[in-house]
Amino acid sequence: MTTALHPIPTDAAVLALAAQRLRVELGPARSRRRVLDGVDVAIRAGCWTSIVGPNGAGKSTLLRALAGLLPVQGRVSLLGHPLADWPHRQRARTLAWLAQGGAVDAGADDLTVYDVAMLGRLPHRGWLAPPSLADHAAVEAALRQTQAWEWRERAFGTLSGGERQRVLLARLLAVQASVLLMDEPLANLDPPHQADWVALVRALVAQGSTVVSVLHDLTIALQADELLIVAAGAVRYHGMCAARQTQQALEAVFDQRVRVVGSDVGLVVVPDVSSTPPGSLSSGTTSWNPS
Amino acid sequence: MKPSVSPWFASPTLAASPRSARCWPLAAALVLAAAVLGTLGLGVGSTGIEPVWAMLADPIAAQIVWDIRAPRTLGAWAAGALLGLAGAVAQGLFRNPLADPFLLGSAAGASLTVALALAALGVSPFAATWIVRLGLTGAAFLGAVAAVLLTLALARGVQHTLRLLLAGVVVGMVLGALTSLVTLLVPDVLQAMQAFLLGSTGFVGWSACAIMMAVGTVCIGAAWALARVLDGLTLGEATAQSLGLPLAPLRLALVAVIALATGTAVTQTGLIAFVGLAAPHLVRTLVKVTHGWLVALASLMGGLLLMVADLLARGLVAPQEIPVGVLTAVLGGGYLLWLMHRRTG
Amino acid sequence: MRRMGWPVWALALGLVGWLGAAWAQPITVTDDRGRTVVLPAAPQRVVSILPSLTETVCELQQCQRLVGVDRYSNWPAAIQALPRVGGGIDPNVEAIVALRPDVVLAAVSSRGSERLEALGLKVVALEPKTHADMRRVMGTVARVLGLPAEDAERLWRHIDAAVSAAAQSLPPNVRRTKVYFEVNRAPYAAGASSFIGETLARLGAQNIVPAELGPFPKLNPEFVVRANPDVIMVGARNAPGMTERPGWERIRAVRERRVCVFDNDDADTIIRPGPRLGEGARLLADCLRKHVQP
Repeated sequence: MTTALHPIPTDAAVLALAAQRLRVELGPARSRRRVLDGVDVAIRAGCWTSIVGPNGAGKSTLLRALAGLLPVQGRVSLLGHPLADWPHRQRARTLAWLAQGGAVDAGADDLTVYDVAMLGRLPHRGWLAPPSLADHAAVEAALRQTQAWEWRERAFGTLSGGERQRVLLARLLAVQASVLLMDEPLANLDPPHQADWVALVRALVAQGSTVVSVLHDLTIALQADELLIVAAGAVRYHGMCAARQTQQALEAVFDQRVRVVGSDVGLVVVPDVSSTPPGSLSSGTTSWNPS
Repeated sequence: MKPSVSPWFASPTLAASPRSARCWPLAAALVLAAAVLGTLGLGVGSTGIEPVWAMLADPIAAQIVWDIRAPRTLGAWAAGALLGLAGAVAQGLFRNPLADPFLLGSAAGASLTVALALAALGVSPFAATWIVRLGLTGAAFLGAVAAVLLTLALARGVQHTLRLLLAGVVVGMVLGALTSLVTLLVPDVLQAMQAFLLGSTGFVGWSACAIMMAVGTVCIGAAWALARVLDGLTLGEATAQSLGLPLAPLRLALVAVIALATGTAVTQTGLIAFVGLAAPHLVRTLVKVTHGWLVALASLMGGLLLMVADLLARGLVAPQEIPVGVLTAVLGGGYLLWLMHRRTG
Repeated sequence: MRRMGWPVWALALGLVGWLGAAWAQPITVTDDRGRTVVLPAAPQRVVSILPSLTETVCELQQCQRLVGVDRYSNWPAAIQALPRVGGGIDPNVEAIVALRPDVVLAAVSSRGSERLEALGLKVVALEPKTHADMRRVMGTVARVLGLPAEDAERLWRHIDAAVSAAAQSLPPNVRRTKVYFEVNRAPYAAGASSFIGETLARLGAQNIVPAELGPFPKLNPEFVVRANPDVIMVGARNAPGMTERPGWERIRAVRERRVCVFDNDDADTIIRPGPRLGEGARLLADCLRKHVQP
């Protein structure tokens, strides 16, 4: 479609992303696996939603489907319009997606940090035009926000895992999209930078952006506004993080093997080690008798 | 990461990318080196090395310089530029630093049609006139393009990079085996095929130069316009898609660029290995750039590499010639080995 | 008659014995690999996998002894019906063994020799590269076949006379004629030290490729333009496109259309270092006579 779509002004009652009867099957033709089965999702605009769930639940797949990167059955809509109706570039300017960290092969090793961040401006740049002043400004702002500005001339391949993740985050921020989807954005980040990331997301949401993050770190996940729990290809729960009901749902989906406890820095989710025999990774069927 | 609530557009300095500061001098250096060596190289030929001005004083020798050595030197540069360009695009498209422009099977296709044409020349006068009309160069080009189309058909489109890569390797191996079969059945063509397989710039004339320069201009323009696709692909296909790049048609366009550039180079100079592989790597060790600059610099580097190899090929054992492919491997490979040694040492 | 019976019978017996002995004499030959091959008797079943050796056997009137040849042997007509056992570089070992040959005549560069010898066959490897080689190899082939050396010598004299006749048929100006013989389009040329080069030298022509470049050098095409030959000789397979090479329109031979294009059969005759050398010399002489200015 070539007509530009005007997104409906974001408003608390408006959905940034919505999916109905979402069904995703992956794998080669002979052994297709149904990863998501009839999922309904509604992500509120101007809000930070965390997606959590056990391993292999389909969280990354759900995020990709919402970003329009997978062939799906069912309906996905962005800001009220079906995703398929969005022109490529306009969609890319409105919705930005961050791949799971470490998914970058050696392709970008020879680019500088600045160039990698500038890749985020591709949806904005004219086809043959060099980067404009606005592009440079956005890249600089993004790099400063992730504290990667000082080493903007270093080659991407010479960075450590955490440094790379920050540069990739800067790439995401440079898009200046109103809807940000992040898959495991905290990979390789040390705790201070994880805290910085939380503060950054809160600031973005305060300005009206929508953030959806798939996180396996449940403590950080509970810092969000809303929590979406996915398990075995279906949405089990979607509610406000502050609600006691949400915390109970979280403990339930992990078979009561995690505990949500309050602390002076907020809610903390810890694995429940008291009932687990040492040396067993599976849900224990044998009890251990120390004697 | 300190939270910043300042508006997005507040920026005191606009970093003019210092990369350009290094790229322009490198490009100028490559062009200058090519010009100097090319001019001096006009004195290198079947009589060994003699100064160009001495040759130009003698009218017969001057015509040799103008008719034979000048187009040959320029043609070697143009062919090297095409191969360097195709190599840079191939490495970006396949996200594989070991990719070379022959990965889609174009080289194998060209050698098969050339072998068939050579074999058929002695078989029947009908075949001979047909082939003379088409020319061996035409046959090589057809073979290169046909092989790439076969690869695309086998991979069922450009959607899956891995499948494209595998199809290209398969096509290359099968067509290469068929070429060996032809040379076995008609051993007369064996020596001529060997010369083709090792590459030769010996017969490049002005018309061949003109074709290569024209095709090179088109391909460089297209590659530069498509450079951002290659940039986007460095972060993975899914990210490139999320950045709004319509991957399928643009990848097809990139494959077409590779096929056109490689096919043209192979038809005029045979199979010259290693230039397409080494030129982008040599550039990357000198500067760190995005693909817009990389394809331009890689083609300049490839041109210089092949031109120097051609000079040595005809100068070292004059009046005999060493196959130029041997020299490109020695030059390019040697330099890369030295760089690797310097890095790890 | 009865009085003379005893010496006559003794003489006859002696003659038969001598003939028999000669027939059953073991033949010792040193081939071009330096190996000594001992044949228990004159071989009756011969396989040849080098065309020039095939032709030599037939020219020595022993064509009937051939039981198998390689796929590239194509002269004389008598061998057309023989089974083909592969080529020089890829002989069909099984087919050769199945023919139960007494000896296999192969090139030194042929690849199956070790295998055939390991299977118990006798292999004589010969590869003539010059005229002198040819004479020697003919003698060796005659030895292998159990023929008197005189047969080979007679054949050689016959060939030599044909070459001399061809040389004499040319006008004296041939000594000033510069010739370029292109073997294939890389371009590989026939140098003065090659077999063809020797033939051309015997005909009196000058070869633009001097002997120190080797028998078949890969030339810079510019060299040919520089040398400006008067006559160019090339095979039909390599001729198309030759005159369009950059700068070649200036060569005297191209300008004055003094290019001899040999069809495949003629080219084979010229290139093979075999007993048709005289025929090859005649073809070259015909070309020179047509194009040399009297």
